[in-house]
Amino acid sequence: MTVVSESGLPHDAGRRDAQHHRDRLRKKITEQLKERIGEEDIIASGPEKKVRVPIKGTKRWQFILDRGQGEGVGQGDGEPGDVLGPGGDAAGQGEAGTEPGEELYEVWLDMNDVEELLFSELELPRLKPKSGTDLEAAQTVYDQIARKGPQLDKKSTLRENLLRNAKRGHVSLGGIDKPDLRYLSYRDVPKPRNRAVIFLAMDVSGSMTVERKRMARLFFYWCVQFLRSRYEQTEIVFVAHTTEAREVNEEEFFNRVESGGTKVSSVFEAVQQMQRDRYPAEDWNVYVLHVSDGDNFAADNQRTLELIRTLTEICSLVGYLEVSSSSGGSHKLSTYYEREASDLDGFVFAHAADDRQLWPALKRFFVKDDVETAIR
Amino acid sequence: MSGYTLDDLRTIDEQCREVAANELGFDVPDVVYHLVRPEEIYFAAANGLPARYSSARWGAQFDEAYGRYQRGQDRIYELIFNTRPAHAYLMEGNSLVAQTLVIAHCLGHGYVFENNAWLGAVDREIMSRVVSAADRIADYMGAHGRDRVEDLLEACRAIAVHQSQAQLISKARVSEPVHRPRPYDVLFPAEVTADRQRVETERAALRQRFPREPQEDLLGFIEAHARGLEDWQRDVMSIVRSEQSYFLPQMRTKIINEGAAVLAHQEICQRLFLPADRYWEYERLNAGVIQPHPGQVNPYNLGINILREIMHIARDPDEEERERWSWAGQADPFEQVRSVLSTYDDEALLREFLTPKVCELSRLYAFEHIQQDPRKIRVSSREADAIRDVLIRQHTTFGIPHIEIIDADFRGRGDLLLEHQHEGIGLDDEYARGTLTQIALLWGKPCTIRTVNGRDTDAPVWFTGQPDGSSERHDSEPEAS
Repeated sequence: MTVVSESGLPHDAGRRDAQHHRDRLRKKITEQLKERIGEEDIIASGPEKKVRVPIKGTKRWQFILDRGQGEGVGQGDGEPGDVLGPGGDAAGQGEAGTEPGEELYEVWLDMNDVEELLFSELELPRLKPKSGTDLEAAQTVYDQIARKGPQLDKKSTLRENLLRNAKRGHVSLGGIDKPDLRYLSYRDVPKPRNRAVIFLAMDVSGSMTVERKRMARLFFYWCVQFLRSRYEQTEIVFVAHTTEAREVNEEEFFNRVESGGTKVSSVFEAVQQMQRDRYPAEDWNVYVLHVSDGDNFAADNQRTLELIRTLTEICSLVGYLEVSSSSGGSHKLSTYYEREASDLDGFVFAHAADDRQLWPALKRFFVKDDVETAIR
Repeated sequence: MSGYTLDDLRTIDEQCREVAANELGFDVPDVVYHLVRPEEIYFAAANGLPARYSSARWGAQFDEAYGRYQRGQDRIYELIFNTRPAHAYLMEGNSLVAQTLVIAHCLGHGYVFENNAWLGAVDREIMSRVVSAADRIADYMGAHGRDRVEDLLEACRAIAVHQSQAQLISKARVSEPVHRPRPYDVLFPAEVTADRQRVETERAALRQRFPREPQEDLLGFIEAHARGLEDWQRDVMSIVRSEQSYFLPQMRTKIINEGAAVLAHQEICQRLFLPADRYWEYERLNAGVIQPHPGQVNPYNLGINILREIMHIARDPDEEERERWSWAGQADPFEQVRSVLSTYDDEALLREFLTPKVCELSRLYAFEHIQQDPRKIRVSSREADAIRDVLIRQHTTFGIPHIEIIDADFRGRGDLLLEHQHEGIGLDDEYARGTLTQIALLWGKPCTIRTVNGRDTDAPVWFTGQPDGSSERHDSEPEAS
């Protein structure tokens, strides 16, 4: 007989697979959050209030018989006709009637978790250091190798030893001594401030139905959440427009109902003016996001695009999201942009027909990859 | 370690083997024992096989079971794999009495592995394949991304159990219809022509059908016939399918296998510990192993009660038993048990030996789920016949519905059509739809199954799953859209 005191299993394989399992769960949660960013309870979650997210896609699928029709054999007390609880007794707990291979995962998330899961995929694109007027507090970076320091760096130490031995004619490790010791050390790196301003511009004209306004606000809600959680110092300017545009405060932006005609050029004129007056491009990264249903006064389209063209020259991003149940339509702004501006550098447009398409839109604007290649 | 050495365990194994061979007639080949930490035993159990490919699924199973262990709700004493040699895992920190019980228990398993005809059909040289499959899957994960491979594995595992279950039985082929000449054909030329035509049409239809015969090996069929799969994807399918085939004979011999193991540990430990002081500790552990599980069947309990009943019939039968079994009262009890262990599976064992006496000993009852609240059950009978019927229904299929692929060009669009060969109960709606999305992922096109609605066998329903994860239910045969 053979007795060995080892499992024959790779060490820690169990924990590794358990970690893979949790990584997969995390991805699934994130996927589901993206689809549910329109839902009331997610938005209503705060630091205290938590939202319950059941995780789809974790069931172990298999063909089983109709659960309502099952039969079986059990062991224990009970006469024909007696009704037993799940554990085979009146009050018990146990397996009878539970689903096969069922893993029930639900997680409770608060807003911080939601942001952590979602926003790690987003970034303000083309954020550049701007004129070094004010520097943020210096950051401590551990990237120095020194003769003194808080933590021994083995690799450098071995290299020094090898060098020292080599100088004395034998290329090998050994006899590590004080002169070989190298430490990981730190330095303070002043971090340039990437000042940014983002203009959030919303069409509040009559053609923006209650549903379209709701979607537009939902989109802006997530923009604001994202910016505030990741870029504390970013300034946000809210602009509402019908046939003319004006700056509004956050409260008004998210709540006021207006109506009237639509003249999209008005909003870009206003943005351009504010930017020139208050946010000079040499000091600020400038972003503009405009949301509309795309029902613009047709004769205004050309003027609008001219303004956008001018803005793209100084802005890191000009974005346009069209919210409407159907995409396209000859009179829509998106159709016009598609035709006239599809290769305009720095201009990104997207379409969302329902809440589930808001996340892909956010991702198009706040694209994380190399911007030059990701933006077409 | 708790006051004993590996050598102590070796000595115990020798003592156990001596009793097993001399008293029970169990000659058991060498078993490799691994004395490991609880974590490792739980991981091996979660994997189902040692050194198996890495997967999040095992991690999930590990998390669940090991979590229960840490909360004190679960304790695995032993784990044994039907490989050659058999590998068994002992948990560090268990008392010497517990280890003795486990070693004796494993000898029972070892005997069944070696001698049972069904388990003999298992490829026991599986370990080299398992190890090489693990390497390949790790390579695929590196090349195509872990997520993609995990998704594929998950889809394969959803249907891997649907392969030929009776590995010792081969199925008759569907024969083509033929025209049979009859003595007075000449008098009925019109009928003869009509029959020839019928035969021709049926043949043509049969030849057009693909697959020609219904296929119960779902994964095997998909692996062979799905279009556009890359080699590595087919390889993953074949790995999951072949590893599953290792488990099927074990599923079909669960009761008999655990019965043999309990019989071995009881007979051996009673001889080793009597009249020593450690007998009571042994008795307590033994009682824990065989105690009934409320609401379900403990295979250890039912297995040992049936084997003891067989020994009783061999030794001291009543009139009725003497009439029923020719060997009653005349056979050596252990010899009789050994012959049952060699040739029976659970279904045969239950059919023949689930007597009213066994039902009473194991306190069995048959139940039905209550439709309004599937978590509750209603006791339907304590009669042996009724209990046997239900148990056998479960054990002929191990609870796996019989599913066949009947058309691989459904609706003329290359969709897959499956049929549930029901035995009075339809498929679960939610799970059927989920599983079909997994099959659709493998097949690359929509997959539909035909089953019945609950117990209403006159009400067919169809479920369709799409590769994108969506699914529908239809109350009439879905048409090409």
